[in-house]
Amino acid sequence: MTESNFSLKKIEISVSEAEKRTGRNAMNMQETYTAYLIETRSVEHSDGQSVLTDSLWRRCSAFEWLRNYLLVYYPHVVVPPLPEKRAEFVWHKLSADNMDPDFVERRRIGLENFLLRLASHPILCRDKIFYLFLTQEGNWKETVNETGFQLKADSRLKALNATFRVKNPDKRFIELKHYSDELQSVISHLLRVRARVADRLYGVYKVHGNYGRVFSEWSAIEKEMGDGLQSAGHHMDVYASSIDDILEDEEHYADQLKEYLFYAEALRAVCRKHELMQYDLEMAAQDLASKKQQCEELATGGELFSIWVCGIIITNLKTFSLKGVTTQLFGQETPEQREARIKMLEEQIKEGEQQLKSKNLEGREFVKNAWADIERFKEQKNHDLKEALISYAVMQISMCKKGIQVWTNAKECFSKM
Amino acid sequence: MSGGPPKALPSTGPQSLRDMPHPLAGSSSEEAVGGDSTPSPDLLTARSFGDKDLILPNGGTPAGTASPASSSSLLNRLQLDDDVDGETRDLFVTVDDPKKHVCTMETYITYRITTKSTRVEFDLPEYSVRRRYQDFDWLRNKLEESQPTHLIPPLPEKFVVKGVVDRFSEEFVETRRKALDKFLKRITDHPVLSFNEHFNVFLTAKDLNAHKKQGMALLTRVGESVKHVAGGYKLRSRPLEFAAIGEYLDTFALKLGTIDRIAQRIIKEEIEYLVELREYGPVYSTWSALEGELAEPLEGVSACIGSCSAALEELTDDTTEDFLPVLREYILYSDSMKSVLKKRDHVQAEYEAKLEAVALRKEERPKVPADVEKCQDRMECFNADLKADMERWQNNKRQDFRQLLMGMADKNIQYYEKCLMAWESIIPLLQEKQEDK
Repeated sequence: MTESNFSLKKIEISVSEAEKRTGRNAMNMQETYTAYLIETRSVEHSDGQSVLTDSLWRRCSAFEWLRNYLLVYYPHVVVPPLPEKRAEFVWHKLSADNMDPDFVERRRIGLENFLLRLASHPILCRDKIFYLFLTQEGNWKETVNETGFQLKADSRLKALNATFRVKNPDKRFIELKHYSDELQSVISHLLRVRARVADRLYGVYKVHGNYGRVFSEWSAIEKEMGDGLQSAGHHMDVYASSIDDILEDEEHYADQLKEYLFYAEALRAVCRKHELMQYDLEMAAQDLASKKQQCEELATGGELFSIWVCGIIITNLKTFSLKGVTTQLFGQETPEQREARIKMLEEQIKEGEQQLKSKNLEGREFVKNAWADIERFKEQKNHDLKEALISYAVMQISMCKKGIQVWTNAKECFSKM
Repeated sequence: MSGGPPKALPSTGPQSLRDMPHPLAGSSSEEAVGGDSTPSPDLLTARSFGDKDLILPNGGTPAGTASPASSSSLLNRLQLDDDVDGETRDLFVTVDDPKKHVCTMETYITYRITTKSTRVEFDLPEYSVRRRYQDFDWLRNKLEESQPTHLIPPLPEKFVVKGVVDRFSEEFVETRRKALDKFLKRITDHPVLSFNEHFNVFLTAKDLNAHKKQGMALLTRVGESVKHVAGGYKLRSRPLEFAAIGEYLDTFALKLGTIDRIAQRIIKEEIEYLVELREYGPVYSTWSALEGELAEPLEGVSACIGSCSAALEELTDDTTEDFLPVLREYILYSDSMKSVLKKRDHVQAEYEAKLEAVALRKEERPKVPADVEKCQDRMECFNADLKADMERWQNNKRQDFRQLLMGMADKNIQYYEKCLMAWESIIPLLQEKQEDK
């Protein structure tokens, strides 16, 4: 595969269309789903023109497969999140229906953003499966499946267990996990309140529309005041209808916040992986330590052994029998069997030491790589959110200016009454 | 509806009644000009216009021309002092300085009424008295009684039923003061009402209660006669022009009622919006505490939202205090105007009935009996007064609403300007660190 040609500077990815389709699912039942057209263009250096190189349709589930695959194979990377499947944090005007065209449109933009995030990530952009996602129309799912990523995924239960039992995780990851929990909580709260604010603002604007109608009716019975009232009423109508566009623009801001809400989960996934690895390491070390101890006890004997023997003799004093003592000391074992056991343990210990060494190495590599990507993520987050806040402020400024304009016009109409 | 607790007025405190000067008996302010004397009786009679007509109509004949005395002297006055907008204005009345009085029996507010006039009807060039709402109510009733053919301006509502409005709060008292000031100014501007003796007494008397007890029954001829019109006469049809006025007032009051409801709804929505904003802003602060580089921008956004909240609160307060009361005043105005129209109908009905009765008597063509002529006088006088007042009212209404609606637009513009300033000021804050990188 020529994914080495895959230079992110030379390609443009777009999710250009969304289409509702019906088909049959695995259980041969009819289902409706949305498919998205992904177009890849390569940009020619000389004239900056872009040429369409690939174009294929993917449905939502394909995107999910791609992401899950990346999560398994790049656990040290903060993997970009997918846009929401169901419309959450809606305010009353927005439909919560997943088939609603506005929602589908915002989803399309979100999926495009997802692919662009992947393409701009220094590590993920080189992934073969990602490349095939963009270029291999048929059999992509089989190809992904063959990587066995689904089997390699860590079980949730295992991860939860590790989270509770790990003794010495890296302090930075504890802090990061704490941060991502708080971030998720605060952005959720923000989105919820923002939706309510939007709802109320909508109400304020729309009620002003009633002025339009009543001024018009009133102007009918007035002589000199009539014209002024009538034209002012028109401006009230304009004011009332302006809120629709304003709030639609604000949805983009909400979407930007949502991306980082979902990114919090991606951060937690990296922390979980660290905890798993650390726990694994601690378990391996503990196992090794216990095997070493076992070995020591078996091989060296020593004072402890004698004391232990006396202990056994004393407990067997009542029914003193050498046979009893030896049985307890060595079970049914013969010295030859004991030797065999010691040897096996020694092999295991050697293996264990090697494993521990490599696990340690792996762990340190993971921490190093993960932290590098986390730093990269932090910069990206700060940049993106600042941009989002700026665009939000710009939206507010535009809304204020429109408000001033409308009321100034209305004031002028009133002055002519 | 406003954010903090309503501010109470400084009160004079519970003092013994004997120690405290009666608030209506005289003001200790510098403006108390001279004389403790109550107006003399001859001043009273001289002041009332149409003075020849103090005598009750029984037996009297209408003086001179067909146009009743009230109208003729009215015309004289109009020709001389008509231009109330220009430099020929000779009467200025102001309502200000509300004070709370706490007595054992009750607590109430008085307002200072300052009058400046060069009119002969006033002994002194300046007067300053204190009046309470009751006194205004008395004045209005007297005006209605004595000038039934004219449109009397409305008073702000006596009781505030809705909501938990504190009638001693600064906002409520200020709203009321403005309305009372408007009331007196409307009377001042009226060429007939401003010369009414009750109005004069109200503006000048040191002890108004004494006057109230005297029960001055100095009504105009028309006033008295209208009072005695039996309500039993039914009008067949209103003349077109008055029917038009009636219809106009009906629709007008209806539309104002709708506007009042819309304005109230807007205030309600704005308040609910404000509640959400007050939760929204602080969330950015909470977030800011988690962040490093983003802390300042997020805190800035939080502060911005806070400024917008404050501006919105001001807007809703202004609408409640300035916009709604004027609407309600005009609704009351049109209600009282409709009853004046009805009274006019009665007068016309009486005249028509008497006229018909004469026609049916089949006498030889005598002169029209005196009482029928008097009825005709009354009717024509009423019609003339009413028409003049209507025209005046229409003019004033147009100016009042122009000012009111422009004011509403202004408040909204100011609100948006405050928000704009807040958001524009944080843009550099949001952008700054990016350039440093």
